[in-house]
Order: sequence, then C-alpha cells, then structure tokens
Amino acid sequence: MTETSPATIITFIAYIACVFVLAALSHRLLATKSFLGEYFLGSRGLGSWALAFTFAATAASGGSFTGFPSLIYSYGWVLAFWIASYMVAGVCSMGVLGKRLNQVARKTGAITIPDVLRDRYDSTALGLFATSTIIFFTVCNLIAQFKAGALIIEETFNLPADWGYSAGLIIFAVTVIFYTAYGGFRAVVWTDVLQGVVMVLGITLLLPVIIRQGGGMESINRKLRERPPTLITSVAGGYNDLVIQARGPLDTAGLLYRHPRRANAPLQIRWDPAVGTENRFIEVFLATDGEGRTSSTGNDVKQAIEQHPMLGPRFRVSFPYDNSEIVTDRFGHRTEMGATGVIGLDSDRSAERFVFLRGDEVLFGPGRSNRGSPFHPLGMAISFFFMWAITGMGQPGTMLRLMAFKDSRTLKRAILTVTGFYSMVYLPLVFIFVAARVLIPELNAENSDKAMVLVTTRVVGDMGLAYQILGAVLVAAPFAAVMSTVDSFLLMISSGLVRDIYQRTINPRVSDRTVKRASYATTVIVGMVVTLLATRPPDFLQRIIVFTGSGFAATFLCPVMLGLYWKGMTRQGALSAMVGGFTVMVGFFLPTLFGGSRIDLLGLHPNLWGLMVSFGLGFLVSKGTGPAPTHLVERYFYKVSTPQQSLSTEDRGQSKVDGSA
Amino acid sequence: MIDPVFRNSLRECLFLLLLWLACCLYTVTYCYLGGYLVHEPHPDATGPSIGKLVGPLTAFDRHPQSLTTPLGLGVPDWVFYGVITPWVAAVVITILFCLYFFAEDDLSPPGLERDEPGTSHD
Repeated sequence: MTETSPATIITFIAYIACVFVLAALSHRLLATKSFLGEYFLGSRGLGSWALAFTFAATAASGGSFTGFPSLIYSYGWVLAFWIASYMVAGVCSMGVLGKRLNQVARKTGAITIPDVLRDRYDSTALGLFATSTIIFFTVCNLIAQFKAGALIIEETFNLPADWGYSAGLIIFAVTVIFYTAYGGFRAVVWTDVLQGVVMVLGITLLLPVIIRQGGGMESINRKLRERPPTLITSVAGGYNDLVIQARGPLDTAGLLYRHPRRANAPLQIRWDPAVGTENRFIEVFLATDGEGRTSSTGNDVKQAIEQHPMLGPRFRVSFPYDNSEIVTDRFGHRTEMGATGVIGLDSDRSAERFVFLRGDEVLFGPGRSNRGSPFHPLGMAISFFFMWAITGMGQPGTMLRLMAFKDSRTLKRAILTVTGFYSMVYLPLVFIFVAARVLIPELNAENSDKAMVLVTTRVVGDMGLAYQILGAVLVAAPFAAVMSTVDSFLLMISSGLVRDIYQRTINPRVSDRTVKRASYATTVIVGMVVTLLATRPPDFLQRIIVFTGSGFAATFLCPVMLGLYWKGMTRQGALSAMVGGFTVMVGFFLPTLFGGSRIDLLGLHPNLWGLMVSFGLGFLVSKGTGPAPTHLVERYFYKVSTPQQSLSTEDRGQSKVDGSA
Repeated sequence: MIDPVFRNSLRECLFLLLLWLACCLYTVTYCYLGGYLVHEPHPDATGPSIGKLVGPLTAFDRHPQSLTTPLGLGVPDWVFYGVITPWVAAVVITILFCLYFFAEDDLSPPGLERDEPGTSHD
C-alpha cells in the first residue's frame, strides 16, 4: 500500500475535470454537424495531431503502464527485445491500410468496419458476423479494462480493501461513460490527445530522474549484476512472501514448499548436500493442523531456515515489504505485513517450486520467472514481432481511426508523430523499470504490477512538490491509457448495435432523432452492463487483453487487407478467413477458461496461428470460389472519373442504406 | 483505368511489409543469437549441430562476464546493436518513406468536394 499525496489527488481531479470540459465542447460541436457521422467518426475530419494521438493512445491500453512495466521489472532488458517491433509498428499499422481504407470508406460512406466489409463484399451476412465478433471481443476486453481502471483508482487513492474496488469501479465507470456518451467520437479523440500528452510528458520527465537516482545506467547494470542470487516465493494466501538471498556462491537450485499429506505434521526442512547443485532444492514440508490444512507462516519458514545448521550460514531470509503496516491474517490475527501469513498450497497441488535467479539474468535473454520457466524463447520472440506491428493493423478500434482522417497529408504527418510517440514511450519505459529494480529491489511477481505506482510514489514522491506533481501525472498515465481504450471500445459497440444492426439491417428508414437517442442510450447501457460484469471480474486480466487483441487481428486483418489489395478476394473467402481466424483464437485460448494454459503449438503464440489460418483460408477459398463479381472489382479497384459516375456512387450509398443493395 | 490510390497504396504496403520483414529477421536473429544466456536445443536437431553454417545453438550461450555497454550508454551490447540501432534506422527509413515515397493522393470520391459520412440518411 502507498501513501497518496495531495498533489496526486489534485492532479487527478484536474485531469478528470479537463476530460469533462472536452466532452462538453465536443457535444456543442455535435449539434452543428450531421449526427451519425460526427458521433461515430468525427465527420472524417481528423487532423494529424488528433489522428496520431488518438491512434497511439487507443493502441496503448492499461497494459502499457501496468503489465509492461511489471514485465520489465521482473525480466529486465529482454523486454527491449519483446517490444522491439514497435520500431516499425507505427508506420506499418498506419501506412499499410490507412490511405486505402480511408478511400474505400469514403466511396461507400462507411462509418464502421462492418460497414466497410458489408459494402466491399456486398454481403449482409459478413457485416453481421463482423458486428457480432466485435461485440464479443470488445465486451471481453472492456471487462478487463474496467477492472484495470478500478484497480488503479483503488491503489492510487489507497482505498480500503473491502470497498475500494467497488468505489474505484463506480468513479471510473461514471467518468468514462459520461464523456463518451455525451461527447461521442470527437470527445474521445480530444481526450486521447490529452491522454497521449500525459503519457509522453510523464515518461520524458521521469526518465532522467530515475536514471540519476540509480547512479546512471552503467551503475544500474553493475548493481544488477552484483546482486546475489535471490529467490522470492509468492504463494497464494497473502503476506507470506519470503526473500531468500545466497550469502556466497550459490549451491542449490531453489526452494520447494511441500504438503506433508497428513494432519498435525510439524514444519520440517530437508536439504541434501550430496545431490547435484542443479537438482538440489531446499524442501520445506509445511506444518499442518488437525484437519490437514497447512499452518506454517512465512515467519516460521524464515526461522527454520535460519536455525538450520547448514542453511543458516548460507542464506539470508527476509520479507519483501519494508513497511510495518498492520494487517489481519486469515485467522483474524493482527500482525505486521510480511511476517505471519499462512502459506497455503492449492488443493490440487502438493508442491510449489521456486528457483534462485542470478542478478545478471536480467541483463540477458530469455529471462526466467521465479518458477524457472523461460520468459521469451525463440518461438515467442518471432510471435511478438508479429504481435505488435502486424496484429496492431488488425484492430477495428485503430482501423476506425484510419477511416476518420482528413487527407493523405494528415496521414503522413500522423505516421511520423506516432513513430516518435512509440519511440519516446516504449524504449524509455525499459530504461526506467530496469532502473526500478535497483531502486525498489524486492517486489514479488504479484506486486510487480504496482511497479509504476511505487516508482512514482516511493522514488519520485520523496523529492519535493515539483516531483510529487510529476508523480501524480505519471499515476494518471495508466489511468489515461485505460480510459483511451475504453472510450473507443464503448463507441465501437454502440456503433455496431445502432448503425450495423439497427439502421442497416432492421430499420433502414429510421429517423435521425431516433438514431441520436439510440446512440446515446446504447453507449450508456453498454457501459452500465460492462460495469455490472466488472463487479465480479475474472483474475486473468492480461490474458483477456492479449486474447481479444489477437482475436481481433485473426478475424479482421485478412478480410480487410486482402479486400483492399486483392481483386480476387471473394465474400466466401472473406467469411472463411473471419470464421477460421476466430475459431483458432477461441480454440487455442479455451483451456485458460478452465485454469489451464493457452495452446502454444510449436512454441508459437496462437496469434500467429490465427493469422496463418485466416490468410490461408481467405486465399484458398477465394481461389476456389472466384472470380470476384465484376461490379465490385470495378467499383473498388478502378477509377470512376465522371461526375455522373460519382453521383451514382452517392446513389449506391443511398440504396445501400435503404437495404436494397 | 486502375485506381491510382490503389496502385500507390499497394506499392507503399509492399514496401512497409518488406521493411517489417527486414527488421524482424535482423532483430530476432541478432538478439536471439547474441543476447541469450541459454539457447534451447533446436527441435529438429538430430546431433550437436543444427546446420553447417550455424553450428550448435549452445555455442551462442553468452557468458555473463562478456557483457559490454557500447558508447558508455549503459545499454547491454546485444540490446544496443539488436534493438536500438535498428530502431534508429527504422525511424530514419520511416522519415524518408514519408518524405519521398508516400504519395499524397486525393482520397475524396471523384466529383465530391468532401463527403460527410452518414449524410445520405441523416
């Protein structure tokens, strides 16, 4: 837990006030423009700064400022390799589809991605499948993002555990639903610009401060390398984490907590010096009570190791928490955090295994978790080069922004800005959180999610008012990142329901007034439903975010990309690509719903398999069902040059809306 | 007549995919071979070597003491040459791409000054 400075509270309130002001300004503009196009697409008039920041901020979700720093803290420099494809992510994700997608959307008057697919392939079924898929993935993602937003507020304001999450959720939901529903797309874009500036400013100011605190990067690397082999156990149950450090050369592999499988067993330590170093573990047989439940605390294990004749001189045992906060353990005893929490093993598991990590392991790949598994093997390295640059192209939220810019020059400038944005955010984050490992040395795997908040409150917060404000800005950065993703997704669902399903499928002659009311109401209702679902959120937050991002790409990238660039792409090919990619992603991630691991076939991330299946099916089925209808090829791949023909383009747009296409 | 926006966009698309591929091949190869303490055995390896050119992967295992930090920046050598150098190169290529390769095409449908999305039914 961390203290909340007045500067943090004031900065947060000022930030939220700015968001509301932008929503109000946007709402005033909404009244002067055509409602549907303005509410969902900003009248296709985004300038380069707005396009760049809304694109980058939407792509940077809460994971960029919570999960990513946590991974850097845990695994070190290998995260520079993990994130490396961001060197081309900006130019690829905007430049490959941007101009062509914008042109096709203008030709048809499309304001959503399902609109584009429906018109390009002249298929209502395709449009409806696209809308359904967007709603499915987006709702999953929104639950995770709402949870992230609520947790950030709970942690930042140090709210009590029993109602802090609910309060955080309500504050987050009310803020984001209000400004999204009231202001529409343009409010979302403007707040994205604000949020993007907050992110860049915060990181740029933090970088030199942190490096100076660590004594320079050379010194930071040296301190990391000289750190003795360390093992941090983090066992479910709370406040029982132990830090075990070797006093000299390491002569054991790690520690095993074992359940003795009987009642009333005493705590026992076993360590056999005759076993080879690589297989030698400190085995801790936990004590059990009369019902066979484990009853040893972190403190019991600490004392047992220290009193062991051979282990005592070899290892130093401590707790990762350096505060003396009083907490209540599961038996209701008031105690200092990190001292007496009971170590509980999962009922289906008889042992928990932890390994020592040498300091120099964070200076190289592949990185190891405290359970010993490699973090970034070759298959994942290849997959993640696809993940950020290629998968990034296939997100409907970012594609939508490519339909909203003003002209080619705007896109060109935005590509340059986004490339700069990614370079100024992601690489510096690696430097900052490698240094954080020296400045805050002993966070366990679970607490490393709080690395950003701890850096800003413990490290920067102690340096005076100016730095407290900087800390507050940085705490606002992950909040801003979550909000910028959530607002886009909320609009995407309501546009899918109002535009794609109601207006274009059920009632094409719906009045403008009804569309307006339906749009406001849908955004609010979707937000409320997601808020309710997020009151009991799933634990695997980051997995959901990865699942939905990969799922979007596997479903949408092929039909959109081949539809824009290949004349031979047919509606059957597009539908096969979407269904194939969607099925692979859901299938490969299905085991995670039941507590298992996702399927990484041949060591590759499911994302790569989803893309391969989607593109393979799209190509083969189109070849088998081709050629594509001549009128579609002529419309989308050949120039219509006369005014008469251009008028007929508009006519076709009207007939499409009338449902006759 | 082929739509010039389609033609230019396709050309730019192919260029960018090649740029991505080049960055991917260089960075993944360099970082994997030059930056890992432990290399997993190749799944297809039948002996100690995975090929005459590459040799056994374990030959690339880094010794921690071999780490250097080029230019005194405090960045490990494999990150400096494997990530930061190509990153800088990619940014330069992106700038050149935008300045000299990217065509500023007119995206409005012919005959329309400016389309308003959704106007046909508002």
